[in-house]
Amino acid sequence: MILEMAASGFGDRLAVGSLGGDGLTFAQVAERAARLAADLRARPPGPLAVAAPTGLHTPVALFGAAAAGRSYAPLNYRLPEASLDELIRRLDPALLWTDPVPLDPLDPLDPADPGPGADGDGGAAPDLAYDDAPEAPAVVLYTSGTSAAPKAAVLRHDQLAAYLFATLEFGSAEPDEVNLLAAPPFHVAGVAGLLSSVYTGRRVAPLPRFTAEGWIEAAHRERATHVFLVPTMLARIVAALDADPSLRPPPLRHLAYGGARMPLPVLERALELFPDTDFVNAYGLTESSSTVSILGPADHRRGDRKLLTSAGRPLPGIEVKIVDGEIWLRGEQVSGAYLEAGSKLDADGWLHTGDHGSLDDEGYLYVTGRADDMIISGGENIAPAEVEDALLRHPDVAAAAVVGVPDDEWGERVAAMVVPRAGAELAVPDLAAWARERLGGLKAPAPLVLCDELPTGPTGKVLKRDVRAALEGTRATQATS
Amino acid sequence: MANLLGKRYTCHECGATVLVTKPGEGTVACHGAPMEQHQAKPLPSSD
Repeated sequence: MILEMAASGFGDRLAVGSLGGDGLTFAQVAERAARLAADLRARPPGPLAVAAPTGLHTPVALFGAAAAGRSYAPLNYRLPEASLDELIRRLDPALLWTDPVPLDPLDPLDPADPGPGADGDGGAAPDLAYDDAPEAPAVVLYTSGTSAAPKAAVLRHDQLAAYLFATLEFGSAEPDEVNLLAAPPFHVAGVAGLLSSVYTGRRVAPLPRFTAEGWIEAAHRERATHVFLVPTMLARIVAALDADPSLRPPPLRHLAYGGARMPLPVLERALELFPDTDFVNAYGLTESSSTVSILGPADHRRGDRKLLTSAGRPLPGIEVKIVDGEIWLRGEQVSGAYLEAGSKLDADGWLHTGDHGSLDDEGYLYVTGRADDMIISGGENIAPAEVEDALLRHPDVAAAAVVGVPDDEWGERVAAMVVPRAGAELAVPDLAAWARERLGGLKAPAPLVLCDELPTGPTGKVLKRDVRAALEGTRATQATS
Repeated sequence: MANLLGKRYTCHECGATVLVTKPGEGTVACHGAPMEQHQAKPLPSSD
């Protein structure tokens, strides 16, 4: 339905692709999605699974599967083969696309055949008949899972549509708007970014592999106006821009971020480097069809440091409440359902997020961290975020991850893994003393270990369980010597 | 009043909302009255 609308409203506009490179108009995406749907209908039941980086095929796969009444399951193509095979086995897909996606019968992309709707009238919508089943599963996403095996979250058509309708107006993008899509296709931000772009009529320029320098170059080349970044990506971009003054920050209109907690020093520096860009902090979960709460551009420019650590206010249609320190969510876009485990919503429809947080008097949400990540040392609750932000204020620290490790005396101890800035001479005892002075003995990390980079997952999220595993074997005396 | 693609219309009486997926002439009506075009609250893009 959404793609059909886009194809009929602005069919000759470029939907996905690069400036001066390969691309598909909205009409061409619709035409190829219709062909894929016909192919899928002839197959046994099951989803369309795609294990490949974002490309021209991505919107075709998402909407083609939907038109055929099949769910779309983008998979982490970077996983080791055995892990990927296991995820595929659990899905039992009707069709699996791997990298490189065999675009036939979608290929060749014949420049002489721009597709229906490209003749200028934009109104020759292709026949994209679709199964009208709003409560059917639309997208299956394996969530990273901070502890156990990945869970297959199921998002329905009506839930994803509720997200779009709550946040966007159809066709509202200016013709020159470009979304440089760096979030991987198997992350909820990748799915939401694609849906939003199609619904608003914004071109998607795929960025299949993220590096800071590559992103900066692509943002200039594609004339990107809109981007979404996870905090690790923004941290690397900020570091790259600071390290090499010949790199210019691209002139973005809009920078949204989310997926993990944003370190305050990174955000403050980014606001300086992108003075004319609108910043949006988007808080959400896979299970809530992405964003449920946003801190908008004006709130980013008030000069209020505390507000910069807020996840903002809930979207229309989303209810948020705090129960025993945990964030609970309810609303039309909130799924909370999994492929094998079924719905995890409580009897009243609330999703218990597992995130710790608070709401202030003005309705601003503050997310303090995963409930699992909270450190309890000597009976005191310590949020890793506070310690990480303090460490990042040291001029020679590029990145830091803080976890709790078991301690016979205190129950848990604060432990930190720190990445020194390139070229910096950082000595552990000096940094430990510096941290103790600012944080006090209870919160100062010990052990404190230096490393070249933090262990991160496919979306750039720091894997706290890996940090914990690496630090558990180390001794506290390392930092106190 | 023509129906505009992608616009939403709401019924004052029952609160029903429709989204126009195919544009055309005519009026969307509910409870015997034309539905009113829904004014979207502009929100900054979050993805």
